[in-house]
Amino acid sequence: MSSLPASLIPMKTVIVDIKNETQNVRTYYIKLPDGVEIPKPGQFDMIYIHGVGEVPISVSDIDCEARVVAHTVRFVGSVTKAFSILEKDSLIGFRGPYGIGWPIDLAIGKNLILIAGGIGLPPLRPVIREVARNRAMYKKLFILYGAKTPDDLIYRYEYRDYESIPDTELYITVDNPNNDWKGRVGVVTDLISLINIDPSETLVFICGPEIMMKFAVKELLKRGFKGNKIFLSLERRMKCGVGLCGHCQMGPYFVCRHGPVFPLWFISRYFWVDQI
Amino acid sequence: MSISGLYVGKVKELPILFSELKNLGYKVIGYKVIDNVLRLDSIDSFEELAFDVEDIQSPGRYILSQGGFPRHGPDSPKKFLYPSKLVLFEILSDWNVVVPPSPDSKIALFGIKPCDLSAIKVLDKVLLNVDEYYTALRKNLVVVVENCIEPGGTCFCSTMGTGPRARDSFDIAYTRLCDKLAIEAGSSFGLKLLNLLEVEPIDDATYREFEATMNRSAEKARALFTIDNIPETLELNIESQIYKDITEKCLGCANCNMVCPTCFCFDVIDIPKIDGSAERIRVWDGCLSYTYAQVAGGHFRRDLWARYRHFVLHKFVYWIKQFGTYGCVGCGRCITWCPTGIDLRESIVKIIRGGKK
Repeated sequence: MSSLPASLIPMKTVIVDIKNETQNVRTYYIKLPDGVEIPKPGQFDMIYIHGVGEVPISVSDIDCEARVVAHTVRFVGSVTKAFSILEKDSLIGFRGPYGIGWPIDLAIGKNLILIAGGIGLPPLRPVIREVARNRAMYKKLFILYGAKTPDDLIYRYEYRDYESIPDTELYITVDNPNNDWKGRVGVVTDLISLINIDPSETLVFICGPEIMMKFAVKELLKRGFKGNKIFLSLERRMKCGVGLCGHCQMGPYFVCRHGPVFPLWFISRYFWVDQI
Repeated sequence: MSISGLYVGKVKELPILFSELKNLGYKVIGYKVIDNVLRLDSIDSFEELAFDVEDIQSPGRYILSQGGFPRHGPDSPKKFLYPSKLVLFEILSDWNVVVPPSPDSKIALFGIKPCDLSAIKVLDKVLLNVDEYYTALRKNLVVVVENCIEPGGTCFCSTMGTGPRARDSFDIAYTRLCDKLAIEAGSSFGLKLLNLLEVEPIDDATYREFEATMNRSAEKARALFTIDNIPETLELNIESQIYKDITEKCLGCANCNMVCPTCFCFDVIDIPKIDGSAERIRVWDGCLSYTYAQVAGGHFRRDLWARYRHFVLHKFVYWIKQFGTYGCVGCGRCITWCPTGIDLRESIVKIIRGGKK
């Protein structure tokens, strides 16, 4: 079997559990194949569905001991829609982990703001887990999360756990409320104004639609956050995961290999350019 | 680099090189005329090679005429080293993976031009020891390059520093000077080939003729810009509105990507079989096509001008940052084979002038 990076050969593995998140989002817990390194928060895996295709999915939970990794999938494209027919014990193909994840080490001894929009929360969840596990290593934690409607909020069953992490503030907002919604209404960037913190002692991790990230970054820069303190997880079309198929280019960067997590300063020449 | 220095020989002895490569078991690939177009294809006998035919090229236009000097057609060595469609592997219904064996054929490219040799050097930086298929063929590849004595209407290899004379990375480089041949070897294998011919170290008169021919050729293959400041200028004008003007006549067909000798982007598709197995197939993809930067939830380059800008910036800016070389070799194929004749040379001039005519 070829060992060169372009071989793109998936390893067979099994789905050990599935959790419904919303009407069109589920989390798939899969067994890491032998020999595969444990993914780090912010990395992604290429998940293959037999005869259908392969998609890049961020790691949304990591159980090192059981070697089980979660992938939260929204059913929007031809491959992700095929996920909906998978069941516990279904076989899937796995390649990974790929990319550069969140710089959690840099957050040690600092405050941490996580800003998530929609399906941007899953890549940040392992960061929340890490802070909860090693709480003393970090200062304050802020979680800002926005979804389109209350029905689109994922991981609802664990918000209380987030709030019970000491020194943690969780703010949730939706764009379009329904009659039962008692929480905040508005875009996630509005939540930034609720935070009063020293920007020089704080890191910000952002993941969500590109337009939301641009607004969030503008707001943060206005509040004195610098480009080396703001980290973004970018999305692009990806077919290979190893910087070869070309689709994920953002300027000169292969998002799959040089990212998906970038410090803002690193990409600032290109980030603001329309349709780069 | 030439290891032999220049020799002078006879054009009529070229078939000796061809036969020797055949005898050594090489699959010889060169340009031949198929349906009135020069196509790169497997060549069985020397007579099949296009020799006294000229491809007349201009933006959006390609015709062949008898007599003259053949350059190239829509194919490039990429067609063989990095095929447009390749089965990566087959996944059986029991999830066992069957990988096709690496290609074991030995390929000799005969009579390709220096622009295409340069394109192989560019692809080396992207694919060598990265892609198994490419690497297997590349390690056995023999290149007999023909220096370009008559660049075409869309050529700008001089500007890109990729021609019209091959400087290195060849086994044999030859130049046709009427019946005479200026010839040199660039490898020990090339040296063995050279030794089969009746050649003598080049004399002063022939050398002057060779030099004059190359200089005249180089003058013909220049664009209206020098390359040195192009990457920086393009990057500084990344938000230029000129891209919108240029792409008013772009169809988004991605012909430019398909004929480009260095474009390497690919898509991977699944072909499910009735027995429950599936093939994963790698196919060329191009940044000008609509779906290239499209994802299920959105689109990163919906507009044509943004896709064309990516093509230009990738070739002249990003490629340098990614692979340490330009992604363009100035072969002019993207200009010739553009159905609406969009001229990359003209685009660059427009962008660096910032719209000032």
